[in-house]
Order: sequence, then structure tokens, then C-alpha cells
Amino acid sequence: MGTLVLSRVARSFGSVTAVRDVSLAVEPGTTFGLLGPNGAGKTTTMRMILGILVPDRGAVTWDGKPVDGRVRRRFGYLPEERGLYGKLKVREQIAYFGRLHGIASPDDERRADAWIERLGLGEYAARPCAELSKGNQQKVQVACAALHEPELLVLDEPFSGLDPVNAQVLLETLRSLQRGGTSLIMSSHQMWQLEDLCDAFCVIAGGTVRASGTLAQLRAGWPTRVVEVDPATDELRRVLEATPGARALPPPESGALAYEVPADADPAALLRRLVGAGDVTRFERVEPSLRDIYLRAIGEAA
Amino acid sequence: MNVMAVVFGAEFVRRLTSRPFIFATLIGALGIVAIAVLPRMLGNIGGDTRRVVLAGDPALTATARSLLARDFDVTDVVRTLPAQPTTAFLDAHGKAAAAALLARDAGGLRVTAYARDPSEFRSAFARDLSPLQVALATGVPVAAVREHLTVPVDVRGVGGPFADESSAVAAKGIAYLFVFLLYLAILLNAQSIMSSVAEEKTSRIAELLVASVDPSLLLAAKILASAATGFIQLGVWILVGVLSGNAVTTMFSHGGPSAGAAMNAIGPLSVPPGEILAFIAFFLIGFVQYSVLYAAAASLINRTEDLGSVAMPLVFPVVVGFILAQLALENPHASNVVAFSEIPLLAPFVMFTRIAVSSVPAWQVVLAIVVNVAAAALFAWGAGRVYRVGLLLYGRPPSFRQVLATLRG
Repeated sequence: MGTLVLSRVARSFGSVTAVRDVSLAVEPGTTFGLLGPNGAGKTTTMRMILGILVPDRGAVTWDGKPVDGRVRRRFGYLPEERGLYGKLKVREQIAYFGRLHGIASPDDERRADAWIERLGLGEYAARPCAELSKGNQQKVQVACAALHEPELLVLDEPFSGLDPVNAQVLLETLRSLQRGGTSLIMSSHQMWQLEDLCDAFCVIAGGTVRASGTLAQLRAGWPTRVVEVDPATDELRRVLEATPGARALPPPESGALAYEVPADADPAALLRRLVGAGDVTRFERVEPSLRDIYLRAIGEAA
Repeated sequence: MNVMAVVFGAEFVRRLTSRPFIFATLIGALGIVAIAVLPRMLGNIGGDTRRVVLAGDPALTATARSLLARDFDVTDVVRTLPAQPTTAFLDAHGKAAAAALLARDAGGLRVTAYARDPSEFRSAFARDLSPLQVALATGVPVAAVREHLTVPVDVRGVGGPFADESSAVAAKGIAYLFVFLLYLAILLNAQSIMSSVAEEKTSRIAELLVASVDPSLLLAAKILASAATGFIQLGVWILVGVLSGNAVTTMFSHGGPSAGAAMNAIGPLSVPPGEILAFIAFFLIGFVQYSVLYAAAASLINRTEDLGSVAMPLVFPVVVGFILAQLALENPHASNVVAFSEIPLLAPFVMFTRIAVSSVPAWQVVLAIVVNVAAAALFAWGAGRVYRVGLLLYGRPPSFRQVLATLRG
């Protein structure tokens, strides 16, 4: 297992700069989430990691060495735009991609059978891929990307276009790969899935890194917190209003009082003041979600 | 396992079992059979147009009948013709294509022919009956005139590879067939590579492939696999050519030159090894030159429907090369033919033809090989760059300037 490091990579296409300056590190066996709006440079960054594109500037290293063809064969890739040989049968297709990554025959077929079983593709094994539904084709692609037990698996929008059942199958497959020690890099617009799967994140916008770190680190850098207080009485509202830097938020569905307060405001002291002013049935300090952090990082209001 | 061997093996099997390859091989084989058999079959069908009915003095018609037997089938001989013979008259006399009235006048023999197709007959009649004309004018017996009119000509080759006329004619036949096969094999297989690249791009599998395999290796493996299947295809066609040549010679054994006879000459013993080597060398050179260009062009399209428009400019030099090869068959040492035989994309057709039908100075062959191998390498380099970028380009096709910028890096 190795560590992937991107050091100030940049890449332009003619007059268009897709990636301006991106640095990140993926520790062995961890899962790294790449977030950003459309056109932020996520796919270009992934393509540079895989050697599909050569950076104009900066370096991509694996265990301190440049990523060459030999190293790249130990990586796996699930691109955003899915593609398969339509006429090739499912089993042959998966085995072929295994061979491309150095899995010799007959091990390629044995592993292909195992993945077909694992993803519930048994009845389609001898059918051409073009005859499969989109969801099942996506499963075939996952098998193609992971058959060789890659040290690093790069997944570009792996959940897009999947129905909830197939999304769950993919989620479990990725968890299983995590348990096996595979490092994962994935991009997704499904924040809850990323939050659930990833150990660290990087928010890219306009080709640059806007925020990066573990969720705890990202939260630590968040300037405010939200507190919710029940019941919504005038006495309690006055205490919250009197808190320095506090700002009222639209009340949640429960009807509780909701205020944004500075992150360094002492929650225990605030609770003591609230209890002193009246009966408090609920006091909750809400941590910012990944979505909040993402929206703030790319410059949108949270 | 070597990744290039993996791609080669997969491409080879995929291509060999693909319907377009099987169809192209079968249709090519049928075309070769047609080239071998049709001229002779059509020759037989043409028998209807050679039927004539003769009229005139029996002394003249008897001699004329024997002289015309060379080119015509005399269906009937009558004393006179109607003033204006009709088709009914021709039908009644063995469904003849023409009626000819023979008469003597002060100038000797005069022939008046009434033919369904007046454009036929004149030259063949004049040639066949010329001994009778001379006999009538000089009083020398027809048999003696015929004998004197036949001049024994023995043509010996000088300064070329052929000892006599028949070997030169056979060499031209073989060269023509080989150039035709070269044309078919290069065109079909280069277009097959084009389809394969287009399929990988439009099905979006290209990105997955280039994440695992270096695009240059991918392209090289594709071209090698296509060359291998191309050789198999050529082998099938040459075998079919030899077999159909033999069959034609057996079926139509009553003489006369034919494409079948030329094909019959193609055998491991009758084709000089140097010519086979030249064929293999120029097939490979031409194949690489065209394949890389076709692959690069295919990598730029976004829809398979665009294949035709991209392929069109690349078909042009193949067709020009094939046409120039026809010129080279007749004038292998003409200065323009010599120049064309050195030019990339054209040389595989023209230089091979020159080698097959003449003695080409060694320096010209070496120069053609050096120039064309260098051109193939240059094309492969440029095409590799375009292919690497083109495979991942979606949306609007790149402009010519963008392609040039890609080549410059």
C-alpha cells in the first residue's frame, strides 16, 4: 500500500485552465472524497492521477515516486462516462480487464466468476454487455475496475444513474474494498454517501483547492455553530439574542429556536444562562454538515 | 503478462470473428473468383454476336468461311441477300448477328455487311478476309498468302527481368492481381481499425482503456492485430485466386489468354521470392501508414455516423495509388511513375508494381523503403499524439488548427 501525493498540479486545454493548483495526499487504506461543482476540475485531477493526462506543472507521486505504467496497473478506475464493449460477453469483458492489469489466465476467469457472483450478475455472465440494463452494466464496470484488487481505486461519480438498490450494492462493495485495505478516491454529488464513506475530503472549485482535511478538521475551521433550543419562549430567545455574534435562523420544522453562534462561544456557559432564564427541554449544538462546508467553500451561502 | 500481448490477442480474436471481417473476406474471395471466371464466361456469352450468314459466289464464300472461322461462327451460306435484310432474315439463318454479301469488283473483294450492331464486324472482317483480298489481287493461292502473312516474331527480353513475352505478360497479370489485393487489404483493414477506434471512443470505453494501457501501446497492438488478420485475409484470397485459376483453366481449356491463366501462374514456384518479399514489405509499410492515419482520424469523431466524412480524404490516396499502379504496369520507368514510386502513401502500390514488372535500380528501391519507413514512423508519431488526445475529446470536433497544435505538443 502506498501514499498518493499531488503536489501543485495544473493542467490547461488551450486557453481553458481546468486545474490551476491542486495539492492533496491520500494515505494508504483511506477513502478520499473529491467535491466540487461541475467543471471544477475533479475529473481532470483524477485523469492526472491515472496518467491519462500529463500535468502541465506539478507532480503526481505514489510512495514518493512518479506514477509510471507499472504503478498505474495497480490502480483501478471507474470513469464517470461508463463504457463497455457491447458485443463482448460479461465474463469475457471482466476477465479481459483483469488481464490488462496483469492477472494471468486462468486466474482472470476465476476472479471474474467471483465478481459476477458477488454482484449478482450470474444470469448475465454469458450475455453480451449491450443486452444488460444500465445498472447491471455499471456493476460490470465496477468488476472491471476492481478485479485486480487495486491498491488505489479512483471512482468518478460512482453513484450517478444508479437506482437505490444498485447504489446500496455499490456502497457495500466499496465498504468491502475499504476493509480489504484499498485506498479509494471518489467524487460524488451525493454528500451523505461521501460523508458516510470518506475519511478525508478536498473541495475543488475553479481548479484550486478551497478546503481539505478530515471532517473533524473541516468542522474545526468552520467559524460558527448552530444551536437549537426548546421551547421557543421569549425568555430563552432574549438570552440567545444577547449572546455576542449570535444570529437568528429560520426556525426548523419542530418550531425550536435556531441561532447561529460563533464557533468559540462556550456551549456550557450558554446553556447555564438559558437554564437561568427559564425551563429548557432541549439544547442541541449542531455541527456543520459536509454540505454546509462544501457550499461555503465554493462560495455559496450555506 | 505483457499488456501489449493481451490487447493484441483480444483485438485479433475480436477482429477475426467480427462480421465485417468475415463478410469482407468472403466478398473479396467472390470478387477474385469473378475476376477469374467472368471474362471467360462473358467470352462464351459473346458467341451470339459472332454468328454471321454469308452470301455470294460459292467460290468466294467457301474460302471466306474457312478464313472467318478464326473469329466468327458462320451459321449459313446463301447465294444472295434480300435488298435490305431484316432481323427476321437473320433469325431464320441461325439467329445470326450479321449477314455479309461478298462480291468481286475491280479492286478485288468487296464486302457489304448488314449487322444488328453496326459498330461490330468491320475490323475483324477486314483482318480475317485480307488473305482472300491479296489472293484475288495477285493470283497467289489463299493458303500461300495466309502462310506469308504470318510473320514469325520471337520477342526476347532485354535489360529486364523477363526472358520472353509470355513471362512478361504473366508477370503483369500477377502484379495486377497483387496490387488489387494490396488495395483491398489496405483499404478494408485500415477502415476496420478506424471502426474499432470509433467504437471504443463512442462507447466511452477508451478512457477506461487508456487508464490501463499506454495509448501508443494500445494503437500499436491494434495495428499489429489488424496486420495479422490482414495477412490471413490475403492468404485466403491468394488461395482462392490460385484455385479459381486452376478451375478456369480446366473448365475453359480451349485456349486463349485470360485472367484465370494469369492467376494460374501464381504459385509458390512461379512467383519470384523477391516479388513476394516486396509484396510483404510494401503491404506492411502501406498498412502502417494508412492504419495510423485512419486511427487518428477516428479518434477525433464523436459519432459513428461521422466516420464516412472523416474516411473520405483518406480513401483518396489509396485510390490514386491504385490508379497510378495501373500506369506503372505499362510504363514502369516513366519519370513521373518513378517519382510517384518514392512518395509515401503511393509508393506501396507504385513501387511494388514497378518491382513486379521491371528491373528497378536498387537505389530507387532502397530510397523508397527508407523514405516510406520514415514516413510511417512520422505518421505513427503524429497519429499517436492525435489519438492520445482525440480519444478523450468529446463535444465539438477539434478544428484543423487544434489538431496541428496537438501535433506540436
